[in-house]
Amino acid sequence: MASGSLAGQRNRFARWRGLAPVGVLLLLCVVITVISPNFLSFSNLVRLLSGAAIPLVLVMGATFVILMGSIDLSVEGVVALAAVITSMLVLNDFTGADLGLLAVPVAVVAGGAIGFINGFVHVRLRIPSFMATLGFGFAGVGVATAILGGFTVRIADRGFRELALGRFLDVPFSVWLAGMAVLVAWVIQERTRLGRWVYAIGTDEVTARHAGVPVERTRILVFTLAGLFYGLGGALAAAQLGQGHALMGTGRLFTTITAVVVGGTALSGGVGSVLNSVVGVGIVIVLTNGMVLMGIPPYVQQGVQGLMIIAAVALALDRSRLVVVK
Amino acid sequence: MIHKRLGPIARRQLLRRDLLKGAAGFAGAGVLAGTFPRLGAAQADEWTLAISMRSLANPYHATFAAGGEAYAESVGAPFEVLITEGNSEKGMADIRALLARTGGKLVLNVDPNDSPDARVIVEECQRAGAYVVTQWNKPDDLHPWDFDPNYVAHMSFDGVPTAQAVAEALFEAMGGEGGIVALGGILSNVPAIERKIGLDNAIAATNGKVQLLDFQPADWNETRAFEIMQAWLTRFGDDIKGVFAANDGMAIGALEALRQEGKAGAVPVTGIDGIEAALFAIEAGEMAGTVAWDPNWTGGIGLALGHAVATGKIDIAAEPHSHREFYGTGIVVTPANLAEYRAMDTSLDYGDFWGKSPGQIQYRG
Repeated sequence: MASGSLAGQRNRFARWRGLAPVGVLLLLCVVITVISPNFLSFSNLVRLLSGAAIPLVLVMGATFVILMGSIDLSVEGVVALAAVITSMLVLNDFTGADLGLLAVPVAVVAGGAIGFINGFVHVRLRIPSFMATLGFGFAGVGVATAILGGFTVRIADRGFRELALGRFLDVPFSVWLAGMAVLVAWVIQERTRLGRWVYAIGTDEVTARHAGVPVERTRILVFTLAGLFYGLGGALAAAQLGQGHALMGTGRLFTTITAVVVGGTALSGGVGSVLNSVVGVGIVIVLTNGMVLMGIPPYVQQGVQGLMIIAAVALALDRSRLVVVK
Repeated sequence: MIHKRLGPIARRQLLRRDLLKGAAGFAGAGVLAGTFPRLGAAQADEWTLAISMRSLANPYHATFAAGGEAYAESVGAPFEVLITEGNSEKGMADIRALLARTGGKLVLNVDPNDSPDARVIVEECQRAGAYVVTQWNKPDDLHPWDFDPNYVAHMSFDGVPTAQAVAEALFEAMGGEGGIVALGGILSNVPAIERKIGLDNAIAATNGKVQLLDFQPADWNETRAFEIMQAWLTRFGDDIKGVFAANDGMAIGALEALRQEGKAGAVPVTGIDGIEAALFAIEAGEMAGTVAWDPNWTGGIGLALGHAVATGKIDIAAEPHSHREFYGTGIVVTPANLAEYRAMDTSLDYGDFWGKSPGQIQYRG
């Protein structure tokens, strides 16, 4: 009787917990709107969306890796390399190429290739994903540096830049593209075997293996998938800033991992979803925008950001499933 | 000398292509330098020239290395580039390895990763009998004349008057009044502090005609600058008459945020550093100015001065303090003088060490 009611309580809490990130996001929006009503203006919402487009694409990749219980630190390197490749393939001041929008699939494939190498090295050489992706992330920046020698490629292709500057229904194309990326990720998560395998591996790899899940192949596939999304993110970054250079990815890793975790996807794997990460990106972007709107002093901003991360994770964490905390 | 016959743009292009070809080699040399003693490379009668710096991934440092290489080529001396990757330990380990390999016959032009590193580097060089010139970062109480003759000189650029001058160019482009927003670097960082002081001075000099609506550090990062500029557009909207950025990367980030709203060119933006992207934005009428440092000069003249001291051409201990700690000249580039700047003769006179310096380095408590 007593244990029954305890279980009931836990159930209710579990249901509520799943919505915690959404609650945090809504609370943030309310607080910011009260202090700075401009926050909800249409033009600011469009700015928020356009700022969210690249992080959204990046977290779609990172979410699957983290759901699997691994980590991918190669984001910045892949974004930089993909941006540099894109900028060199569209009309630019450095090479004679003029592939226009065709450069985007090339960048996506290049990102996927690095992702594949990440996964392959991680699985076949049994190197922890932390080290393998960290290493290839640095290698990505290194290759971009070697190609450009520290210089910046300027993009002269107006058609390509329409990806970031052009609008459909008053919303930049990059946002629509990010929306499609989310849809693709959601379909993979919900409607494919790969999606189910990711959860199985993240929850308990040994059991998954006994149940016949091709763990190695899934891991390699997931890292490749992540690389494809980062490649798209890199192409969008090139379109947004109109250039390509070796440091284009700087700062992206922190935003990406923060968004995934704040959205309620557990770093231990098995818990979360791509939709959680969409909410996570929302929280990160709204917070960045809101703190400038509210006029919070710069150094308090960093503190608030740190506290928000801890609060969001604390709210979203299902402690009943934790055996150890390390 | 070949460079002399080409037009300025072609010369820049040439410099850039050379750099691209050289970049992979540089990176390789950096790795090898710490690993293998190169057989037969260090002849006892020859000074090795070396540059040590953070990274080849940004235009400033790539040009700094190219300036050093051009001098080494002009005297036919062996040349090395050491990369710290932002890691002080690696930077110092590579320098120690190079000191050991050359037996102290080294002329080093170093941009220390962090101010405290400079003291260690100078002491190691003095012990080995090598000659060292430092750039930008050193503790205020570390002076070349306390390490005669091995610590040859310290070179830097004064951020205060240059930031003030480029801010004035911004105000002029705005018509002399209105609200501005400003993007700063990491505020624990000397150039960031100096540039902020320069901006504040310029604002104070307008007697309230120009107001600083908001100041945000964007960590020298264009993506951060982009996001902050977006939020500013919501917060201040059309009250923003100008954007001051403490480097060109952030200026470009802000400019692209403006472009997304169709406001590129309508709101003047200034940066600092003089990277190509900023010069093109000035040409396109989208930026109102930048400050071009002269890393080609610091790279080349730094090594030339150290080499002259090492080979006994100059008695550096007899030189005045203004020749031991000196500033380089930052050129404020605006739409008005862009063509002139591009046409400027960038070749260096390796015998003229101090001609381009506006004076001795100032310490601001």
